[in-house]
Amino acid sequence: MTRYVASRLGSAALVLLLASLGIFALIRLVPGDPVTILAGPDSTPESRAAIRADLGLDQPFFSQYLTWLGDLARFDLGPSYRLGGSVSELVIAGALNTIVLTLTALLIAVVGAVIASTLAVVLDKQWLNNLLAASNTLAVAVPTFATALILVLLFAVQNRVLPAGGTPPDGFFARPDIALQYLLLPATALALPAWAALTRFLTESLQSQLEQPYVTTARALGIGRRRIVLTQALRNALPSTVTILGIQFGTLLGGAILVEAVFAWPGLGRLIEQGIAARDYPVVQVLLLLSVVVFVLTQLATDLVHAWLDPRVRLQGVS
Amino acid sequence: MSPRLAHPRHPHPRRPHPRRPHPRGRSRLTALAAAALAAVLVTGCSSAVDELSAAADEPQQGGTLRIGTTSDIVPANTFTNSSETGDVLVGAVYDTLVDYPLDSVEPAPNLATDWEFNDDGTELTLQLRDDVTFHSGRPFTSKDVEFSIKTWADPLWTVQLQRTAAAVTGFDTSDEHAITLSFEHPVSNIFDLLDMVPIIDSESIDQLRAGTAWIGTGPFTFDSWQPGSTLSLEANEDYWGGAPLLDGVDVSIIPDPQAQVAQLRAGQLDLVTGASGRDIESLGNDERFDVTEWVGAETQVYVGANVQNEALSDVRLRQAIAFALDRDRIVEDVYRGAGVPSSLPWPEYSPAYDAEAAATYDYDLEQAKALVEEVTEETGQVPTLPLTYPAEQTDFGAIAQIVQADLGEIGIKVQLDPVEQAESIKRLIGGEFEGLWLLYHSYAQYNPSTLTVSAYPFNADKNTSGYLDAQYQKDAEAAWKQKPGEVSDEQYDALNQDLLDGAFLLEIAILHPQTVTSTNVGGLDQSKRNELRLTETYLAE
Repeated sequence: MTRYVASRLGSAALVLLLASLGIFALIRLVPGDPVTILAGPDSTPESRAAIRADLGLDQPFFSQYLTWLGDLARFDLGPSYRLGGSVSELVIAGALNTIVLTLTALLIAVVGAVIASTLAVVLDKQWLNNLLAASNTLAVAVPTFATALILVLLFAVQNRVLPAGGTPPDGFFARPDIALQYLLLPATALALPAWAALTRFLTESLQSQLEQPYVTTARALGIGRRRIVLTQALRNALPSTVTILGIQFGTLLGGAILVEAVFAWPGLGRLIEQGIAARDYPVVQVLLLLSVVVFVLTQLATDLVHAWLDPRVRLQGVS
Repeated sequence: MSPRLAHPRHPHPRRPHPRRPHPRGRSRLTALAAAALAAVLVTGCSSAVDELSAAADEPQQGGTLRIGTTSDIVPANTFTNSSETGDVLVGAVYDTLVDYPLDSVEPAPNLATDWEFNDDGTELTLQLRDDVTFHSGRPFTSKDVEFSIKTWADPLWTVQLQRTAAAVTGFDTSDEHAITLSFEHPVSNIFDLLDMVPIIDSESIDQLRAGTAWIGTGPFTFDSWQPGSTLSLEANEDYWGGAPLLDGVDVSIIPDPQAQVAQLRAGQLDLVTGASGRDIESLGNDERFDVTEWVGAETQVYVGANVQNEALSDVRLRQAIAFALDRDRIVEDVYRGAGVPSSLPWPEYSPAYDAEAAATYDYDLEQAKALVEEVTEETGQVPTLPLTYPAEQTDFGAIAQIVQADLGEIGIKVQLDPVEQAESIKRLIGGEFEGLWLLYHSYAQYNPSTLTVSAYPFNADKNTSGYLDAQYQKDAEAAWKQKPGEVSDEQYDALNQDLLDGAFLLEIAILHPQTVTSTNVGGLDQSKRNELRLTETYLAE
């Protein structure tokens, strides 16, 4: 097992190293120069030279790359070209906002899906099934940004009952009631496609559970449909639904970029969008590398757990 | 307390016959609103919307002005007027030595109370206020003026007018409350520099560059900045010009202009700076909002021409393009009338303004066609010309299509070439546009030399168009090396003729920036630098 772990760790480290080099090189191949953006259209050549030297961009490519790797090894992400502050602080602040938004959306999607699916199966009415099918199609078909704009128009502009955007002035934890109102519209807009997918999957799972022998036995014993669904079928249907939650979480994170733009939500989506526009290399490099790290660590954990459960895998892996 | 609002517009103060919603539509809307309200009630007793609106509901001396901007501060560019949030920050936190009225280039006292030139204009002595302190508590002295001008001249800060700042060769600071500046030669735009240079605190310059503190002598003090999110300022109760009426200013950075407008309509903001022309027009028709056009802080939109391009090297073709531009249509369709079509960059109050010259290239298809015919007879068919513009700004996309259609009318094919803003700046600085390009420029609201000496597209010695003309260089240099106010009309006429004859930058229009405010905002003012002046701003019923 130790040799297997070492081998997997080694390949993960190699992937990260190659990814870091790829990211570092690719961002520099994108047309546009951070120095000219910072210096502005009326800058003098002397200004641009001074800024280039200040940012260390006058150094050879590999020298810049090695400096960056060294800084990463010391967990020093350096300053943002554009915003001046520490990249790590910017990423942590943005990640907190994005995670809060995404988790709230996930919660809305899960709770909404459980309620809608259970109602549909318990009541077993054709009109309700049709309504749910139509809602699911709409929720998936209408782009998230369009849903977001409609929600803003209805609940913030036409009827001023919820904020049109932004984050709570006092943070998320000082006034939870206020924070929840700020979250409601963006999280709902983000949650709708995930809610539709989860509802459809859970409804089908519940219906297949109702065809199982234990349900027939329960019905024969005189137990009502509602009680069977709520006490047994739902519990049995949930585990398979949980497996697609992971996929939906990834989709939600992707969708968050658009929702953050409409609701002026200062999360990672906005950070990377503005970082790319300003060619803010330190910010973009770290965010791209972070996504690779998350992927590699997830893959590594999966491999290790798999190997721990199945000896054949670790033997094969080492050989 | 008279606000210098240039042109508040209320085109339709009240709609005579408000349209009633269809009963069924209204009931659906009510049901949706009820559902949202129920959600609010479930989440708690306090309403976020009510709390946001509370400050603006009552007339008061105090309150916090809530501003929406589309671009964030870039600390290294604090003084380049390159971001809306940066403009709010600099205008509120810093003072300058002199202050131009919005519609003139006659300096008025600010931190400098009086000034005098020597006979040949190579020395300027400024008397300074003796009752001014920085927000840190440190007294303001002549040393701070020297430090600020030298910092401004430092290439690392990439500010405008570096050539003018570099022309200041000596600083006599022997008197704490007076400074004598020496120049290499008379500098006609020296007051432009003194109007732009903010007086900065030498002790906190590193914090300024890092974006952790901005310390000046202005009417507001820096409180906090959350990058990409918010900026907070507090009133400076000890301000030498009297404490502001507001308690503070909160800026929300909202890159999407539509999201910004939605927050204004929802009552979360009192003022927005980045709305599109169409949104501004729509808000101007709503009685809850005021639209103000700032005459005196203009921006110009233009078509640039690379004269190194084989076809565009023929000045007749460039002049044909200038005649074919339908400037009126662009101003009306794209900017909804908030601008003035012009062949020259100068606004009416500029010393170089000449109404007749500004109409030189008025829309004239016959003249344009005749010029194109002349060129094609000599050199053959005009090749397709690329027109490059920043794709992120929808205004440019619309203008590019109008220009393409206009030039199509005179037989010139144009291929649209949208690029990222980052790429367009790189091409502008490097002179890398292949043919034509569309961009904005500014600084014609100052003395004309600020444009011809410092603004890169116009710089007589090196510019994006690759246009070098000995007469233009000579005239630009002569107008610059004069005592302020002593440049003659003939010299400006010569400069205008150079610009019109060269036709390397084809002006389309002089645009007036616009701000939209809720009607409860009063006393708003703005500087030539596009910075809001908030000392006398108040929130009322």
